[in-house]
Amino acid sequence: MKITGLVTVIICGALLIFYAMDFPDFGDGTSPASTYLSPYFIEHTIEDANVPNIVTTVLADYRGYDTMYETTVVFTAGLACFFLLRRKESQNPPARFYRHTPTGITLRIEEGGKLPAEGSKVFMRIDSLWAPDSLIIKNTCRLVIAFIQLFALYVVAHGHHSPGGGFQGGVLLGSSIILFAISNDLRRSIKRFNEKTSAILGALGVLLYAGTGFLCLLLGAHFLNYKALAPIFRSTAAMARSHGILCVEIGVAFAVMAVMIWIYYNLSSAGKHDEGL
Amino acid sequence: MVQQLPALLIIVPLLTALVVAMASWISPRLCLPLTFSGLALSLAASIGVLMEVIAHGPVTYTMGGWNAPMGIVYVIDYLSSPILVVITSVAILNLISARKSVEESFPGKTGAFYSLYILFTTGMIGIVATGDAFNLYVLLEIAALTGYSLIGLGNDRAPLASLNYLFIGTIGASFYLLGVGYLYIATGTLNMADLARFMPQMADNSMVLFAFIICMTGLFIKMALFPMHGWLPNAYSFSSTAATGVIAPLTTKVMIYAMIRVGLYVFTPAYIFNTLHMSKAIVWVAIAAIVMGSLLALAQKSLLKMLTYIIVAEVGYMVGGFFLGNRMGITGATLHIINDAAMTLCLFMAAGAISYKLKDDSFASMKGLFRKMPVTMIGFGAGALAVIGIPPTCGFFSKWYLITGGMEAGQYGFVAALLFSSLVNAVLFFRIFEIAHFEPFADPHDHHHHGHSETVNEAPLSMVVPLLVVAAALIVLGIYSGDIVTKIIQSAIPAGIV
Repeated sequence: MKITGLVTVIICGALLIFYAMDFPDFGDGTSPASTYLSPYFIEHTIEDANVPNIVTTVLADYRGYDTMYETTVVFTAGLACFFLLRRKESQNPPARFYRHTPTGITLRIEEGGKLPAEGSKVFMRIDSLWAPDSLIIKNTCRLVIAFIQLFALYVVAHGHHSPGGGFQGGVLLGSSIILFAISNDLRRSIKRFNEKTSAILGALGVLLYAGTGFLCLLLGAHFLNYKALAPIFRSTAAMARSHGILCVEIGVAFAVMAVMIWIYYNLSSAGKHDEGL
Repeated sequence: MVQQLPALLIIVPLLTALVVAMASWISPRLCLPLTFSGLALSLAASIGVLMEVIAHGPVTYTMGGWNAPMGIVYVIDYLSSPILVVITSVAILNLISARKSVEESFPGKTGAFYSLYILFTTGMIGIVATGDAFNLYVLLEIAALTGYSLIGLGNDRAPLASLNYLFIGTIGASFYLLGVGYLYIATGTLNMADLARFMPQMADNSMVLFAFIICMTGLFIKMALFPMHGWLPNAYSFSSTAATGVIAPLTTKVMIYAMIRVGLYVFTPAYIFNTLHMSKAIVWVAIAAIVMGSLLALAQKSLLKMLTYIIVAEVGYMVGGFFLGNRMGITGATLHIINDAAMTLCLFMAAGAISYKLKDDSFASMKGLFRKMPVTMIGFGAGALAVIGIPPTCGFFSKWYLITGGMEAGQYGFVAALLFSSLVNAVLFFRIFEIAHFEPFADPHDHHHHGHSETVNEAPLSMVVPLLVVAAALIVLGIYSGDIVTKIIQSAIPAGIV
């Protein structure tokens, strides 16, 4: 079986390389890919959508319909992780561990013992006997997270002009929360940004994208034809497209952020949503 | 309104899936009604589009208002419109039938299940409706991803079966994507109609040749054509019947649709049947699929496993029919997509009802089932007769076209394989009838054969009624198959094919 697999892989690889030899050269200006549709996109982006970044226009407008489904794929991945991994049944372990924060001592409280108050500042619930607690990591991340989020907003908003946009900005936003979860622990992170929020926000992000498209449809144009939004934005058709792109980019950012966090919660704790990694 | 139907057809389920995903956190009771209404609206839209196509010819819809080849267009023509109706009806019928078992199998996760269920249907609709080769891949991703996760929850071995499916399925989808990439490099466009326009001058372009090989291989993997069927039997028999009830009738059939779409409307018949000399070889692969699928089905000891191998054989029918390259063969393959979806739905629904009641699907547990679940067995019997190919059920007619096509093309091997497979199917199903009718019911928990185990213990109405609807549809499809062929399918096949 192993040998059959190896032979198949080698044949496939050899065929791929053999037929790749007929490819046009890198950066060949006369290849079909650069002479057929590209000139249209390069010449008409500004006039059509008033967006200097051609990639953004192709992604979110000319082929925005594909991108909507790519966002849906991201959301589906989050939903699939939840569906397959999440274990709702409460798994109360016989003993609970608490850290006494001022001294760093770990307490093991047997079932039936007196537990510290829920919102206690002095006692912190942990899930294993040894959970690292580092002042340096916590504080460094606390400082960095705010800047990551600020930069993420810039990336989302600036996708019209420079590399960036919803996917990249969403990843940054999501990773800032994940960084918080890693540097502190999952339970605290879930307290601030809970599962329900991430699930609903993920769906809401895609809904913002599809809803923008649907609004265009309700206003009488074709689905995702942002031109129809011109009366709402009180702008020209090209500017309406530009604003429409921003709307869907924000939707993408929400979806990607929330889904990344949701997937992290489920993967890092094997669906139990306890302390996590 | 009418011109927006192609978009509504797919956007309504997409929006519904998102709303259901949110509703599951706020008010879980709303999930089922929302799912039902979303799919019902989509069914209505698909019927509307079918009427429109029959009355006024193919409908195109430009997404974002950008014309092809700049933007993405939806083209709903004679080939896609009937399949769309099939997809939406299968999804809604199975939803009704699966309701009870969803609530039992996925407590606390029904909202997520319904959302994934609608997204799966959305993906299938998109694959069929699109006129863009890359957009097809994106929707394929959605359909596949939701399929893996729906299959992943079932009995203990479902996660592993799903993981296997995920690996193989991803390879298949990537092959298709690579093929589209090669086509884009060779032509600079992704629009199907535009690609087809370039084909005559590409007859001896090696990139296009490789694109054809790798696209088709990818689709063959996704449709589980023998010998690439390894992922299918376990994936379809270990998971919940609520999920397989929609996945088994649709996935392989829609992939065959994609093969026909890409074959006829991207690579063009002139290229695949005249320029290339591969179709004979592919027909032989299909013959192997039919024979092996039938033989492997014969070797199974449980109902669901047997049905999955029948699917493997049926895939061979359609691939072979298409690559016969003549009008009869392609008509048969297209008609069989519709019929086979209905037959598979019927059999899987019946199997779902049986395993819902018995918690088991081995042949041994089916003793006396005609007395215990008479209505379910009537539905099952209708499905079985259709698969065997007995008139007036629909299975007979598509098989008739396929056999005639094989005769015309001089492919007697294919004809023989079809007849052999029909015989094997007859043996398979009459063996079950014999067990279920003549052998007394044995209660697995009670080995002393008390009288109460002989009484009627039918599946709930929500399972039985959709099953009977599908069983009736098998006969209606059979009776009207002449109309379906002359009014719809004949116009779907390009005029060049005789």
